[in-house]
Amino acid sequence: MRPSDRIRLDPGIALRPERFGALAYSYRDRQLLFIDRSLLPFVGSDGERPVGEIANELVGRGLLEAESVPRLMAVLEGLRRKGVVHVVV
Amino acid sequence: MSSYEQLRQGLSAPICLTWEVTYACNLACVHCLSSSGRRAPDELTTAEARSLIDEWAAMQVFYINVGGGEPLTRPDFFQLMEYAIERRVGVKFSTNGTLLDRAAARWVASTDYVDVQVSLDGVSAKVNDPIRGRGSFQRAWRAMELLAAEGVPFKVNHVVTRHSLADLDRLYERVTGMGGQLRVTRLRPSGRGRLVWAALRLTQAQNRELYHWLRAHPDVLTGDSFFHLSALGTPLDGLNLCGAGRIVCCVDPRGDVYACPFVLAPEFRAGNVREQSFASIWSRSPLFLRLRRTEVGGSCSGCEAYGRCHGGCMAVKHFTGAPLDGPDPECVFAPDGRPGPEQLPISPRPIRPVFVR
Repeated sequence: MRPSDRIRLDPGIALRPERFGALAYSYRDRQLLFIDRSLLPFVGSDGERPVGEIANELVGRGLLEAESVPRLMAVLEGLRRKGVVHVVV
Repeated sequence: MSSYEQLRQGLSAPICLTWEVTYACNLACVHCLSSSGRRAPDELTTAEARSLIDEWAAMQVFYINVGGGEPLTRPDFFQLMEYAIERRVGVKFSTNGTLLDRAAARWVASTDYVDVQVSLDGVSAKVNDPIRGRGSFQRAWRAMELLAAEGVPFKVNHVVTRHSLADLDRLYERVTGMGGQLRVTRLRPSGRGRLVWAALRLTQAQNRELYHWLRAHPDVLTGDSFFHLSALGTPLDGLNLCGAGRIVCCVDPRGDVYACPFVLAPEFRAGNVREQSFASIWSRSPLFLRLRRTEVGGSCSGCEAYGRCHGGCMAVKHFTGAPLDGPDPECVFAPDGRPGPEQLPISPRPIRPVFVR
């Protein structure tokens, strides 16, 4: 996933806040996913801002380690491949 | 914190819940978990059922497992299901198939968020009908044909018993051959199941055979029924823990909320939705809070397999009189003893529902 990508949750997926982050349930394939708290600002961004910008802001506010960003982008890419999020075009 | 710990301590709302919409049933299966037969006269009304669905929608309960009794005997069944779907509460309903006609099959086919499963407890009438009643095999099969004709990806729920395990391959082939998906679930000593548990439950050797069969058939669903068998090796698909009051619960036709559909017993009743909101029962009932603090200890605590089976099924322990903090009576490490007592020590709900409270 590129820092300039904007992402949006698939409309067939419901996201429910939980202590650890969120549970995502796909009405398409009836799969349940655990979403870690660190992913929520991205998964819930509704395509409004590029993921790189969101990451930079979180790093700037001390909420995210700069070293964790590449791993986080890889996880988001995994969610894109699973069809959980889509890159807004 | 591990995902097991997160789930054990409970979620903001159930992932799914079982809603027994009626105790009315035109069959009288020998192992019925809810001892169903007659309709309770104080069933939730359509209006009460709707406000319950509103609450589930607000809490984002992802889907409901609708059962009974036979759900299709409720005159407002389709209306309530559509009400749920419109509010994005998905529906998975279980039916014995006898009342499922072409119109119902078309409704399932044309409605998003609805899954259906037909109960079948044998690959032939010879094995199925002694459990589910004379003629039930043929009528369930007819329902499957109607669903297949509409292109519905239906499921067939099979409670595997001592006499049906040997036919699993044939059942699998016949169901998948029709375009259905097989779901195999555990016999539990709940409701009328208490009376047939000793005679129908799998032997320990059969439990081991089933574990390997399920491992070899990853497309067969189990509804997390057999997590006690995960102690045998690689865990089976699923969350592999008791979700009672933590990630699931059960609402009965009168609005009583129980920890799970397999423990319809006073000890596991958390409240009633006519007296309290469902949300407050879920988040604050002393029973559910206690279940979320509970860890199975006892002889399980030092066992290397505990991380895979988490001590097994609470309902099976309860109704066989086993301590709740000890191993599942069908723990894979238990000796393959005699089939067990014919009469179980703890009385479940009365076989005939008692309506006066």
